[in-house]
Amino acid sequence: MTAAPEPGTVAAGVPGPAPGRAAAPADLREQPPVAVRLEGLTRRYGGVLALDGLDLDVAGGEFLALLGPSGCGKTTALRAIAGFEVPDAGRVWFDRRDVTSVPPSRRDVGMVFQAYSLFPNMTVAENVAFGLRVRRRDKAERAGRAAELLELVGLADRGQRYPHQLSGGQQQRVALARALAVAPQVLLLDEPLSALDAQVRVQLRDEIRRIQLELGITTVFVTHDQAEALSVADRVGVMRAGRLEQVASPDDLYERPATAFVAGFVGTMNRIPAVLGDGDVEFLGVRREVLGSAPTAGPAFALVRPEALEVEADPRGHGRVVTRTFSGAVTRLTVALPDGVEVRADVPSAGSQGLTPGTPVTVTPAERPALVEPADVTP
Amino acid sequence: MSATTAGLSTAGVAGAGGVAPETPVRPARRGRGVWRWAVFAVLGLYFLVPLAASVWFTVRSRDGVTTDAYTSIPTAEGFAENFGRSLAMGLLTVLIALLLMVPTVVLVELRLPRLRPLVELLTLVPLLLPPIALVVGVRSVLAWAPEYFLGTPLAEAFFALQEPALPWILVLVYVVLALPFVYRALDAGVRGAQLRTLTEAARVLGASWPRVMLSVVLPVLRTSVLNAAFLTVALVLGEFTVANILGFETFPTWIVRIAGSQPRLSVAVSVLSLLLTWALLLLISALDRRRREEDPA
Amino acid sequence: MEPGDLRLSTTSAPAAPASRTGRRRGGPLSALGPVLGIVPFLLYVAVFLLLPVGVLAVEAFRATDPVTFDETWSTGNIGTVTGGAYARAYLGSLQLSAITAVLSAVLGLALAFAVVTTRRGRLLRRLVLTASGVLANFGGVPLAFAFLATIGTAGVVTPVLTGTLGLDGFRLASMAGLAVVYLYFLVPLMVLTIVPAVEALRPQWREASDVLGASGWQYWRYVGGPVLAPPVLGATMLLFASAFAAYATARALVGSSVPLVTLQIADSLSSNVVVGAENLGKALALGMVVLVGLVMVFYTWVQRRTSRWLS
Repeated sequence: MTAAPEPGTVAAGVPGPAPGRAAAPADLREQPPVAVRLEGLTRRYGGVLALDGLDLDVAGGEFLALLGPSGCGKTTALRAIAGFEVPDAGRVWFDRRDVTSVPPSRRDVGMVFQAYSLFPNMTVAENVAFGLRVRRRDKAERAGRAAELLELVGLADRGQRYPHQLSGGQQQRVALARALAVAPQVLLLDEPLSALDAQVRVQLRDEIRRIQLELGITTVFVTHDQAEALSVADRVGVMRAGRLEQVASPDDLYERPATAFVAGFVGTMNRIPAVLGDGDVEFLGVRREVLGSAPTAGPAFALVRPEALEVEADPRGHGRVVTRTFSGAVTRLTVALPDGVEVRADVPSAGSQGLTPGTPVTVTPAERPALVEPADVTP
Repeated sequence: MSATTAGLSTAGVAGAGGVAPETPVRPARRGRGVWRWAVFAVLGLYFLVPLAASVWFTVRSRDGVTTDAYTSIPTAEGFAENFGRSLAMGLLTVLIALLLMVPTVVLVELRLPRLRPLVELLTLVPLLLPPIALVVGVRSVLAWAPEYFLGTPLAEAFFALQEPALPWILVLVYVVLALPFVYRALDAGVRGAQLRTLTEAARVLGASWPRVMLSVVLPVLRTSVLNAAFLTVALVLGEFTVANILGFETFPTWIVRIAGSQPRLSVAVSVLSLLLTWALLLLISALDRRRREEDPA
Repeated sequence: MEPGDLRLSTTSAPAAPASRTGRRRGGPLSALGPVLGIVPFLLYVAVFLLLPVGVLAVEAFRATDPVTFDETWSTGNIGTVTGGAYARAYLGSLQLSAITAVLSAVLGLALAFAVVTTRRGRLLRRLVLTASGVLANFGGVPLAFAFLATIGTAGVVTPVLTGTLGLDGFRLASMAGLAVVYLYFLVPLMVLTIVPAVEALRPQWREASDVLGASGWQYWRYVGGPVLAPPVLGATMLLFASAFAAYATARALVGSSVPLVTLQIADSLSSNVVVGAENLGKALALGMVVLVGLVMVFYTWVQRRTSRWLS
């Protein structure tokens, strides 16, 4: 798995604020401030440090996504919350309860796995009612609750089917219903969409968010797909090598990445050679203000999103269009600049027909402060 | 602890300073494998003691240790002849079984999926049917030759099948006994190999069906063919019931025959054949693994 | 594929498509083509598997008159083999097979679990599986001799058993002795057949069950057990058939001093004294086939009930 995001996915993945995010602060006031807290969590497999002193707070009712390349420790973190991983050091708190050494069966969490987690020998309804069955609730209550949850996930008519008679998306809905049936304190989602087709994925993603908001349940969602994380979560934590690089709202993460890694991992980012001056930075022949605290003067890279570059046909321009990819309202251009630098720019499709490969152009960054990364730091 | 509890505040990344107490917590989940070691110990003892005892039985002597029992095997009366005969029958069985089953398995996979249940059922029967019942039936059929066909070419053919030097009838029955193993080994290979895509590619490039069989199917099935062949040879080398009931001497019936007069020799041959078969099987599985690691297709 | 191969194939292409379309138009023959391909297999099975069993079923009902040597239809053989010493032999075989099958199923399942759940146990796994392959399928005679050398009358371990452990009554040439030897190939057979099923138990099921609050016992009661039941049942069935049919081990170990139907069959066939003993052997063999068939029917019925969720 590569850390580099797919170019172009960001445009579709960030449709502005996720639905219902505005409601979150109101909920926070009524709920305990922190529903799940990870404190200095460390876990080592042989020589590999899967968790390296991870600290994380999840607010009550919050939908938090853990995002990162494979092997970054996000799944280990989730499994530590569930109780499947016992940390070498550190603590796990639920509300005010230290659950570090509580086994999974007594943690009161619901969990949805990647795939194939439904019990094959039980009908859909029996699967959903399993948590109540082991809690020795009576038959009527079990049946009622199962029907209620199947209704919630839109599978009311499939109760008597067996898992292998359902599609992948339906199976994951059932798994969600099963996890919610016992009304857990925390809902954990371990890449529940990764085995599904693209279309089903988007649909189920939005539905998970709808249900989460409806129930107001604290949710931790692990994924390697940034579009998924950015579109549904209240906050996204970007992980790398067992640590959190940044935890922020999707907008902040996109607009103000805290590190070069986050900048490169979330969305598409151009790294353009620049020179840091006194409080400003010069690149592509213009000067821009520096966003955040400016590193010391000298050679640097400016980090610029494709949509923050303007491209104009110009017979005397230094750039040359290399490829042109139409994708609806915007068109993605790759432009070769002198010194072997290539940048990607998203321009409005209307009026960009003339920018065919080979066209000489000038590239100008938008009039706004730019992120800067010192040249000696490798991302 | 109280400090951290009191410190529960707004959401956000908690301070990077490692305030967390370095308490390694590893409760009950580890160390539950006691039952596993109990199983290994008990069954290990049960399976190793007879082997070790047999080896000891063959090498002990009044004045220490001797390998006489093993060194005398090659020259023992009847060994070379019977081992050779069994080996030859094993190879013939492999040949016939593969000639029958490779086309069948491939055709069932590619062209006749509706016949799969039938083929599966027919290849399962020899696994459940007692071989002794089968061989009693075979004996009855063979008895037709003197009873009904005497003087016809059919009778001659029947008698030719029962030539003690190379009893073809045993080979033909062994093919039946080997069907379950051969079918399963080949079927596993065919299913794992995306045979449909491969053969379609070859056909598009203009290869004829026989050519496809020879240059695409067989190489792809190399490992499964090897596995099936080995299992079959081992089966024939160890088969006693059919040979005994039909009254032919083979390697295993020879071991039983000499047991009375030369117990040490019979045990030595037994142990050796078990260990050699095991070693060969290990070798094949190791080769198979290495090949799979080399080209993870 | 190497580029060279590709070119080679395409140069020969012009001829091939022509012949292919030619065969397509050939009508019924081309549709029959694949079926013809498996006719040898079907014929072979018919001649060497179905015919002998069929002959058995017919000739078991033939009787030879001891005086005139005339053959007649009769149910006499069937009557004989369902009573007296023969019935005892069937009973002995059934008992021995049932007991050893169940015991081996339990032990083999335990071993399969132990092997599958051992971490970093690839070598151990390979050793156990290959050893199982050898012992389960090809051990008959060698096993008998290994045990004779171990706990036979002159066996290496026999003095330890009779002296130290005080097991004076134990004899290899007995039902109990046979059972001990049968386990030596039945347990490996169980391991071989059940390991795939044990491996197919997904860890997610256990984890989902844990997270939903189930205890380990509840997991096995509601999920692991029911999922494993059909394959375990099938494997036990196979063990039973295997033990029931075992002949080599018994012959090499006990001669014919233990009432087993396979030994009875061999005896009746090798008898040149009693006229019609041959047909008695056929009746005994037919009885075995019928018993295995009945067990199969029972098994299919139980399987239907335990695996409704599979279909």
